Amino acid sequence: MGTLRMDRRLFLQAAGVTAGVAATTQVGCLKYFRKGRTVSIDDRQVPTTCELCPNKCSAIAVVEGGIVRKLNPNPENPKSRAMLCARGNAAIKQVYDPDRIKHPMIRVGARGEGKWKKATWDEAFDFAAKQLSAVKAKYGPEASLWSSTEGFQEVFFKNLGLAFGSPNLVRHPTLCLASVNLAYSATFGTVPSFDLLNSKYVIMSGANRFESIITPDTMDLIGSVMERKAKLVYLDPRFTVTAAKADEWYPIKPGTDLAFILAMLHVIIKENRHSQAFVAASTTGFELLTEHVKPYTPEWAEKETEIPAKDIIRIAREFSDAAPRAVYYAGRRSSWYQNDFQMRRAQAILNAIVGNWDQQGGMVPNAKLPKGEFLFMPWDEPKAARVDEIEKHFPLAAKGDGVYLKLRENVLSGKPYPVKAWMVYKQDPMNAMPDQAKTLKMIEGMDFIGVIDVAMSDMAWYADVVFPESAYLERTDPVEVMAGIWPAVVYRQQVVKPIHDTKPNLEIVQGLAKRLGLSDYFDYTIEQWVEAEFKELPIPMAMEHMKKHGVWAASGQPSYGKTLNPDHRFVTKTGKIELFSERLKEAGYDPLPVYEAPTQPPGDRFRLILGRVGYFTHANQSNNVWLNEFMKENDLWINPKPAERLGIRHGSYVTVTSSVGTVRIKVRVTEEIRPDCVFMLHGFGKKAKMQSLVYNVGASDAALLETAWDKVSGNAAFHETFVKVANA
Amino acid sequence: MAMKKKRYALVVDSRKCINCKACAVACKAENEVPVGRFRNWINEARQGEYPKLRIDFEPEQCHHCEHPSCARVCPTGATWVRKDGIVLVDYDDCIGCRYCMVACPYEARYFHEESGTVHKCTLCSHRIDGGELPACVATCPSKVRVFGDLEDSSSRIHELLATRRYRLKEPQTGNGPQLYYLL
Repeated sequence: MGTLRMDRRLFLQAAGVTAGVAATTQVGCLKYFRKGRTVSIDDRQVPTTCELCPNKCSAIAVVEGGIVRKLNPNPENPKSRAMLCARGNAAIKQVYDPDRIKHPMIRVGARGEGKWKKATWDEAFDFAAKQLSAVKAKYGPEASLWSSTEGFQEVFFKNLGLAFGSPNLVRHPTLCLASVNLAYSATFGTVPSFDLLNSKYVIMSGANRFESIITPDTMDLIGSVMERKAKLVYLDPRFTVTAAKADEWYPIKPGTDLAFILAMLHVIIKENRHSQAFVAASTTGFELLTEHVKPYTPEWAEKETEIPAKDIIRIAREFSDAAPRAVYYAGRRSSWYQNDFQMRRAQAILNAIVGNWDQQGGMVPNAKLPKGEFLFMPWDEPKAARVDEIEKHFPLAAKGDGVYLKLRENVLSGKPYPVKAWMVYKQDPMNAMPDQAKTLKMIEGMDFIGVIDVAMSDMAWYADVVFPESAYLERTDPVEVMAGIWPAVVYRQQVVKPIHDTKPNLEIVQGLAKRLGLSDYFDYTIEQWVEAEFKELPIPMAMEHMKKHGVWAASGQPSYGKTLNPDHRFVTKTGKIELFSERLKEAGYDPLPVYEAPTQPPGDRFRLILGRVGYFTHANQSNNVWLNEFMKENDLWINPKPAERLGIRHGSYVTVTSSVGTVRIKVRVTEEIRPDCVFMLHGFGKKAKMQSLVYNVGASDAALLETAWDKVSGNAAFHETFVKVANA
Repeated sequence: MAMKKKRYALVVDSRKCINCKACAVACKAENEVPVGRFRNWINEARQGEYPKLRIDFEPEQCHHCEHPSCARVCPTGATWVRKDGIVLVDYDDCIGCRYCMVACPYEARYFHEESGTVHKCTLCSHRIDGGELPACVATCPSKVRVFGDLEDSSSRIHELLATRRYRLKEPQTGNGPQLYYLL
């Protein structure tokens, strides 16, 4: 449609006409200050899928005059429950952000100095391909590292790394929830969802679901807790929003959650409160478990956790009474301690023995939907073994994801072999990985670093070449099937054309592949890829439907109990739910969760704990102007008692020191935290000047966190760092 | 057929509010609210001593009063009350004197520098007229705000106000606020 110059009244009339012609077009609010402006009539509504966090909520983009004006929730998605959170609403500012990377950039100064030259795509591709080829020629393809975080286009990046011949793909899970996934897989052979919509009793260890928004869990839980349909018992050293909404909050001594769970198991088994029928039919190892938990009495646990024994007993009774509509919730969260896997295993075992498996209001194995696959030319498997030696050190961990911190140790030591090139997609290891100084050392050791991202992350800031990816509202992506209690298919389609000289990841991968002689493996378009996926979806007229609606959900109620028939084989060694795990025993781990008391901070130190708020998840979101408004600077939470002892005043600045770094940060003296802990929010203290709102503002948790990991999954242990706090 | 009288209002179930700010950002986008200004916001009350603590969140915006003091003090009649109860500002008539900002008991208004006029929540009247919910209502993860017509006895808000206890803020001003907070 044409471009017109018009005044407000004319615009009103024209808009009215447009609305009349195109039934799907809806005219947004008329802003008085468009009076006299040139308005192009490109008004559309486009369903798409949010990418600001991993939830994949369905949104409808309202385009006015060719610009995304608004994102509305799409109620057709059963998982996002007709909502769009602050981050989702602020995605508009990801597109129209003055800090965006507007064209490819090649470093001209020292790494991290911020001196760049604007490059054409050809120059950037040629440069990167030359560097990658040089590393390959000198050290072999395994000397390249390919880091990425989940996303619909991540597959292309991973495939490029594999086609290049590198076994060293490393993904986010070991900086996130690998310990949870592994613990549930080891017990049930799968990672289930929690049916919080129908639960009557929920116990949660620090997952802070009302600030770390996960769909549909956050919405289901707040509804049922506030309408008194469910009771929420919450354990956290910090008084979070979840603690504030819970029926009971226990400021548990950090690192002792396993003692609480073992004592619950003790009470439930001693009092015969477990589901005897279910335990007999579907589990193995109950006798061994019974013996194992005998010493873990509530009185013992009280000493460890600081939760009164009488409360542990009462909670165990209430929990088993409410079963099967009772869950010890795992959900999405990061790992904290070196025994994190065993703590998650204990939760899984507790859930199993009360018989909440595959029950309404309990844990439900995820329903899946079929999807077509585009068949591309396969490459030879990479020959070298992984540099993180995952097989040797973490035999049960997910091979394809790698183990991040162990990988960094090995790259730094150059053993078992050198890694000299680092490609990164949609990830900021500078902030996501503990011990930033160590990450900087790893960066220093690289011959080449290339980063693909929408915004200038701190990692991109230290790269040699930066490939700007188009924002999600500017891209069409592969189709995603979301497994769950309410499975759905979501589709992300281009809403507006890229406003800068950016490309979708597939085209960046193809540009590199062409110059690396790997074009044959990437000889397709996103349209062909998506078309192949549409073909096997269980949806009539799939492509038409997905383009029009952006989401498809199976109709009807979820079906519970499909795995409860006596012939069902769980995907475990015994085919049963493994309370006692032979597989763990064989791998040299405790087959039943053994409690180890965590080290507590010495008198002059605090345990540093982390978390999120509802409007920031990833490190880059603090630089979104519509989100930054709610918190311009992060601060250090400290309880008034130690603050008084140290002479630290609210609002003043302190230095926080761990064994690996020191930061300067503002203080929040607050009753809402245990006296032996301090807390800070993730995502501040950036090094990249192209994150202008948070550059050098506040502090980065990554600068303080020490390298520690969970022994079984290799997941980073984020709560194992002790810090000193002193007036700055 | 004569249109039935309407009286739009919001019922707010503050206990369900998790302070996620979705409403504030949705409003910002929908109504092109400048950075640093808000047409809706969340009040926080934190109290107690460790470990006996409490936090209350309270979403707020223009109360769309029955007898709005902002309209009474407006020298040009720019602030007016629509037939359905929505208090609006006609930007063509607003001279930016800001009397209304002083008169509002809820500090729900702000001065918009670019236009030289006073802005505030319109209850997304443009969305309501198109059959949609206000942006803050639609986007909320925990559905804290319930929008509806008080004159419609079959509406959800009618039912809520008939069956639940609620409170109004600053009722003594005589403004007749229409933001109903469930207890």
